[in-house]
Amino acid sequence: MKKLLRLFCTLSAAGAVALATLPLTACAKNSNELVLRVSNWEEYIDLGDWDDDEVIDLGFEDGETIDIIGVNSMVDDFTEWFNSTHDYSIRVEYSTFGTNEDLYNRLNLGDTYDLVCPSDYMIMQLMREGRLKEFSPEFRDETIETNYYINNVSTFISDAFESFGGQNYAAGYMWGTTGVVYNPEKVDVEDVKTWNILRNPKYARQVTVKDNVRDSYFPALGILNAEKLLSGDGEPYELLNDTDDDTIEAALQILKEIKENVYSFETDSGKADMITGKVVANYQWSGDAVFIMDEAESDDDNPVELWYSVPDECTNLWFDGWVMLKDGIGNDARKQEAAEAFVNFLSMPENAIRNMYYIGYTSAIAGETVYEYLKWNYGVDDGVPYDVSNFFGEGFKPLTVDADTLDEEDGVINRGRQLFAQYPPKNITERSTIMCDFQDRLAAINQMWINVRCLDVNDFNPAVVWSVIAILIAGATAIVLYKFRYRIFYRRSTEETNEVNS
Amino acid sequence: MKKFRLRFSRSQLCLPYAVFLALFVIAPLLVIVYYAFTNGQGKFTFNNFTNFFSNTNTIGTLLYSFFLSVTTTLICLVIAYPTAYILARSGFKKQYVLLMLFIMPMWINFTLRITALKEVLSLLEGNISRYPFLNSVIGMTYDFLPFMILPLYTSFLKLDKNLLEAASDLGANKFTVFLQVTLPLSVPGIVSGITMVLLPSMTNYVVLDMLYNKTFIMGSLIGSYFSAYDWHNGSMISLVLLVIIFIVTLVTNRFSDKDDNSGRTVL
Repeated sequence: MKKLLRLFCTLSAAGAVALATLPLTACAKNSNELVLRVSNWEEYIDLGDWDDDEVIDLGFEDGETIDIIGVNSMVDDFTEWFNSTHDYSIRVEYSTFGTNEDLYNRLNLGDTYDLVCPSDYMIMQLMREGRLKEFSPEFRDETIETNYYINNVSTFISDAFESFGGQNYAAGYMWGTTGVVYNPEKVDVEDVKTWNILRNPKYARQVTVKDNVRDSYFPALGILNAEKLLSGDGEPYELLNDTDDDTIEAALQILKEIKENVYSFETDSGKADMITGKVVANYQWSGDAVFIMDEAESDDDNPVELWYSVPDECTNLWFDGWVMLKDGIGNDARKQEAAEAFVNFLSMPENAIRNMYYIGYTSAIAGETVYEYLKWNYGVDDGVPYDVSNFFGEGFKPLTVDADTLDEEDGVINRGRQLFAQYPPKNITERSTIMCDFQDRLAAINQMWINVRCLDVNDFNPAVVWSVIAILIAGATAIVLYKFRYRIFYRRSTEETNEVNS
Repeated sequence: MKKFRLRFSRSQLCLPYAVFLALFVIAPLLVIVYYAFTNGQGKFTFNNFTNFFSNTNTIGTLLYSFFLSVTTTLICLVIAYPTAYILARSGFKKQYVLLMLFIMPMWINFTLRITALKEVLSLLEGNISRYPFLNSVIGMTYDFLPFMILPLYTSFLKLDKNLLEAASDLGANKFTVFLQVTLPLSVPGIVSGITMVLLPSMTNYVVLDMLYNKTFIMGSLIGSYFSAYDWHNGSMISLVLLVIIFIVTLVTNRFSDKDDNSGRTVL
């Protein structure tokens, strides 16, 4: 019965879409090719078509050089590469989703994918629900040279995956921190050192925050636990994954204040508002921060230098990873091989660089080639050292970068430009915390978020309420008076006429 | 050879439409009702109903969206009534050009229009997030004005000029003619205009989102429940809204019929 209802639901909600995809699936069944259904975030992979002058020419210390350029889309390149190296052919059915919830809803409504790229907490949720298929032992075998993922992934990322037990179920794709993009000309450095900037009346209606519960709950907890986090009293992981009723209630109050103070709750519009200067600071993921800084300084009419700050209290270490779904892969060994090959292909250093260059986020892939790309991108002859060994590993020397792109204070860097946002230094990664999925507290936290966004009857402005009521009563009285005007005002005269008539 | 002819009776011709109705109107409605009165385990429950009416936040949202849509409707009416009157009364050639001026914006994509409006408002107000309610009303009015003008325009076109002349001949001044003849006869137009503006503006949250109104209205409330995969509470709110809309329509229809009759008694 439930299935039938779901069917009706899908039919009526997306009848047109269903009709449009019908011929596609029919077509896929007829061909002999294996179809790999991949779903990824929008604009989260290199689509190719670069200009000739965009070529990334890397030179290594041993004199070797490589040129990296995206001519075709990554997906096409993968199909070609796979079909030329295997004895069977595949076709990639690539689709995109807008939010993790969007993906999750689609999976629940019966869409099947083989390989998807959700964020950390969604990976945990899918894992908990037993919907993920483990990567094969061969995929994790470091001795095989073509296992690009396992051989190149940063230990920092693999440690993060191990911390929640996802190392066998997920392969990291992109990662980053959360922080505040700000305009140094209009915002005091002191104010961006704390998440409190979101409710700082000094910047009333001039900051934006994300329009989703997780990205709002995190800074709210940061504000709530600021003292404990700054003094090192208590484990940050525990404090920032606290979902007690009291904590939720306290976060609600903070978020209501934030709501009154911010310019908007945004999903995408914050980038444009920041670049055009409508707001002076906004809560951002590090990858988008890079994009915003790039765009703002290359604006022809009005170039602005924006900075990225990670507040002193904490930052949310987030990542998106590739996971295989049991629903899609089933027990098809060849399909699993293809899915794992897709992850390995994306993890080839050249391809990781292509994706990074194209979308501006930070790949989970480390290694020498990526290090060279960093040098190519940010390195200068005369500058200050910038340590990236927390991501690349001990063997890698600090980069020499432009001192004007970093804000060093007492030997630690908490603010900087693109490089800082893309590869945060050790003091940042040390205070970063993974935010787990809310599990059985999800409904309570969602309700809290809805309550934040709704207008509480108790918060109504009494003056407005009374004036509305007064207007309504006045209007109703006027109508009644008008309708019964004869009976009320002329009664005596009608009675008199009646008397005369009789 | 006999000529073969397909003949359908009326009821047979209705069949495709009936199937369409059953599939795309009745079945989704039943699904909404099913979800509204069940919990996650598929058991019957009234919890979703009590959730809605016991939460001061959702009640506040209901009142807020009602207030917003009533304000929008009133402003639309105030602007549209004289406009439609002038349109319908103006010279033949001008009339269509003028009407087009009001209808043409509807041909342009709605998001584009609201984005443009956002820029204009930013220019005028400086920081649009300071006036969320005002901006939402402006946005909604901008979006729904044609829906108010059109029914009014048609009802003015249908208005028999002889009636106006008769009233004047019988000694009524211009104001009385308007009050006693034009206004009662345009009530059906007013009512359908109100229905077309009041109800959609309670749920059209895209305008609010695009104009940075951070407060939810009914539409966004339903959407946020759905995106949190809570079909049950979302369906219940849809159902509540449906009932409200049903009541409003019932009242306005009654009102319009009555006044339509009284309009006829003018003859």
